[in-house]
Amino acid sequence: MAERPPVGLAMTATGPGEPTARPRPAHPDATSSGRPATPALRMLGIVKSYGGATALAGVDFVARAGRVHALLGMNGAGKSTLVQILSGAVAADAGVIEVGGSRLTHQGPRAARAAGIATVYQRRSLVPALSVAENLLLGRLPRARGIVAWREIREQGATMLTDLGLDLDPQMPVRALGPGSQTLVEIARESHRGGRILILDEPTASLGGHDAALIHRLVRQLAANGTSVVYISHHLDEVIGLSDDVTVLRDGRVVLTAETASTSAADIVSAMVGTTVVNDRPPRPERPHVPVLRIDGLSRPGRIADLSVTVGAGEIVAVIGQAGDGHEELFPFLSGMRRGYDGTVTLRDERIRPHQVTRSLRSGLRCVTGDRLGTGLVPQLSVDENVTALHPTARRPLMRWGHLRSLAGEARSRFGVTTLQPNPPVSALSGGNQQKALLAKWLSGSSVSACLLEDPTGGVDIQAKAEIHTIIEDLADSGIAVLLASSDTDEVMRLADRVVVVRDGRAIAERSVDDLTHDALTHLLLGGSQ
Amino acid sequence: MNSISLNRATLGLPPALTRHAGLAAVLVLICLYLSVRSEVFATTPNLVNVLRQVAVMAVLAAGLTVLMAAGGLDFSLGSQVAVVVAVVARLLESGTHVVIASICGVLLGATFGLVNGLVVTVFKVAPFVTTLATATVLDGAALIAMKGQSVSAGGALTDLGTGELLGIPYLLLIAVLVIGGAAATLRWTRFGRDALAIGGNAVAARLGGIPVLRHTVMLYVANGMLAGLAGIMLLSRLGAASPGTAGLHLELTVVAAVVIGGTALHGGNATVAGTVLGVLLLGIVANGINLLQIDSFYQSVAVGVVLLVAAVVNQLRHRGPH
Repeated sequence: MAERPPVGLAMTATGPGEPTARPRPAHPDATSSGRPATPALRMLGIVKSYGGATALAGVDFVARAGRVHALLGMNGAGKSTLVQILSGAVAADAGVIEVGGSRLTHQGPRAARAAGIATVYQRRSLVPALSVAENLLLGRLPRARGIVAWREIREQGATMLTDLGLDLDPQMPVRALGPGSQTLVEIARESHRGGRILILDEPTASLGGHDAALIHRLVRQLAANGTSVVYISHHLDEVIGLSDDVTVLRDGRVVLTAETASTSAADIVSAMVGTTVVNDRPPRPERPHVPVLRIDGLSRPGRIADLSVTVGAGEIVAVIGQAGDGHEELFPFLSGMRRGYDGTVTLRDERIRPHQVTRSLRSGLRCVTGDRLGTGLVPQLSVDENVTALHPTARRPLMRWGHLRSLAGEARSRFGVTTLQPNPPVSALSGGNQQKALLAKWLSGSSVSACLLEDPTGGVDIQAKAEIHTIIEDLADSGIAVLLASSDTDEVMRLADRVVVVRDGRAIAERSVDDLTHDALTHLLLGGSQ
Repeated sequence: MNSISLNRATLGLPPALTRHAGLAAVLVLICLYLSVRSEVFATTPNLVNVLRQVAVMAVLAAGLTVLMAAGGLDFSLGSQVAVVVAVVARLLESGTHVVIASICGVLLGATFGLVNGLVVTVFKVAPFVTTLATATVLDGAALIAMKGQSVSAGGALTDLGTGELLGIPYLLLIAVLVIGGAAATLRWTRFGRDALAIGGNAVAARLGGIPVLRHTVMLYVANGMLAGLAGIMLLSRLGAASPGTAGLHLELTVVAAVVIGGTALHGGNATVAGTVLGVLLLGIVANGINLLQIDSFYQSVAVGVVLLVAAVVNQLRHRGPH
């Protein structure tokens, strides 16, 4: 494996949180005049479809050595599929991948790795109990006569860290490190394993500004060493500050590819969103604002700071943020699933303590999770039992199965839960029907006055999505205060009356949907300079 | 669709019957084999004797099935039985009235269950570790209570141990009542359904308003009370408490019976019918080894093999269509 020469540049922390400070080296490969004939990576005409759905419809992608290439796109644009194909996890239906000018003949993770393609996913693959050095050398621990050579491990680990300018203790167990440092270790390991083409999948998601700055510095360092970095991110300012090139995917096609310096945040946003956004939002009745649900000063260190939001009767208020951001704290807080939050909840002038689950349910607050099988439904139990689980009349000491069936029948038809068998376990349903059963379980009672819906159409097909949107509007029309936690701009524009945008754990804007366009919302969400 | 549900559909039988078809078939085969190899096996006295012997195991296994439905586990039931046997025998020996001694036995079991339940819920210690520890403590406590020597229960419990109603031993009647109670609890009571919900998804159960911790403690207490009852039944059959009665060994057989019956260790799914078949299978295997005059050391081997095979079969079945 290529040992990189030590870089004399001492990487001392200057100013945290500012990715824009970049002494970009004038790399010989980088100038548009003197481009080498063979880029580090070239993908041509990549096609991939799942069933009938096209994920990638002929994508060309070129990454050059010594440059950081940002890959952007909204959810479902095809980024993850492209990364999976590149890393060998998924085989393309058609297309060519060339690394260093020679075509990859074999597909699969081993072939990709052998060709020098390494991927760092958001989900970490470190062993928490082992030291930094052991993790760096995982699978290739130096041995002397079959016995692990500890001194060698320490020394090699330390060298790798200094080479990359990382100020980490090689003997520290990885679990003692913060999330940012763990990501640094993982990137360093992949690079050391011979990753000449390094794919980083949102490495700074859910990291604070200081950690993000350290990762940006490492990325620049790797690029300066000649690595070609493919950088996936949702943060516009990060992309603009860090990358040399940018490619935007939309609906499985490349809609923009350019040098970052020659484009702008506005260009990137409009490439991501597209020009024709159909606003199929039906008119919603005007109604007087009668506050029902109020959250004040919701905080949890490192995740969310001082979020306040009020929802009126019949109103739909969306709290939107990117995946991993603070809007995801609403469900664990409000449902009482997790302790450790500051902040108060008021429901119709009554103070709610979320951790007292039974009492807050009785007050009429319902929190519907985005993780239906993980924290919402009991997978092994039947549909009927799941959808009636919160009905007071179904909760007598002795079961009355006939009564339960008729209650469930009403809930099923109101929420459109359809099943082939009469009453299968809920785990046997399709995603869309599970989601409707989830809504039916938590919202079919008559005593509901406010609800939180977390990502209510996650992982369901288009038709089910439309049906669920109608269900949610009906809920609001019946006077329920609906709080929506989502990262889906389409859904928010379709449903919400009012939108609170969360970025890095803070509410950065609150707008009526009438004062907001799809573009403007995306812009706020991605954090481009306005 | 996996093959099991297809079979069900084609046979048109209720799933409760077809679910245990394999286990029932194994049981029938073993019975046939034993009736051919031994003249004694298929006689009424022998079969009644087998049922009398498995009654204690059945009471424990029925309760454990409900506990395991909720994702719990209790490795200390057999050791609770051992302590109850010793303490009740001492009480009877010292002249305590049989009813009071029995009540003490049940309350003692309830106390053990309460301790287990509180450690599991308050300190979040894994049930396996908690109850393995209490089992070890209680095994020692039983020896201390009987001072390492056999303690005769006198004749106070003889009626219970040997008596019959219309030719059915009292012990068997009690076991049938407990089994029926466990099955009805799981099927017809909110308590039983909530246990299944907790075992299936504890977070969803709590967020849905089920008092998960209280419920879990109650399940451990109920199991302790059943261990008290089982202790009195065992003492009535044996007539004396002696070192090595019940304990961890009995417990392993009980857990094996429940698992062989098809109840999952991770909760959410439980079958009392399967547990009954598991209990019968282990009881008959033990009886057969006895009748065929096979070295009793092989009994342990046989139980282990049956458990392993059943566990593998359950695993293959759950893997399903993937």
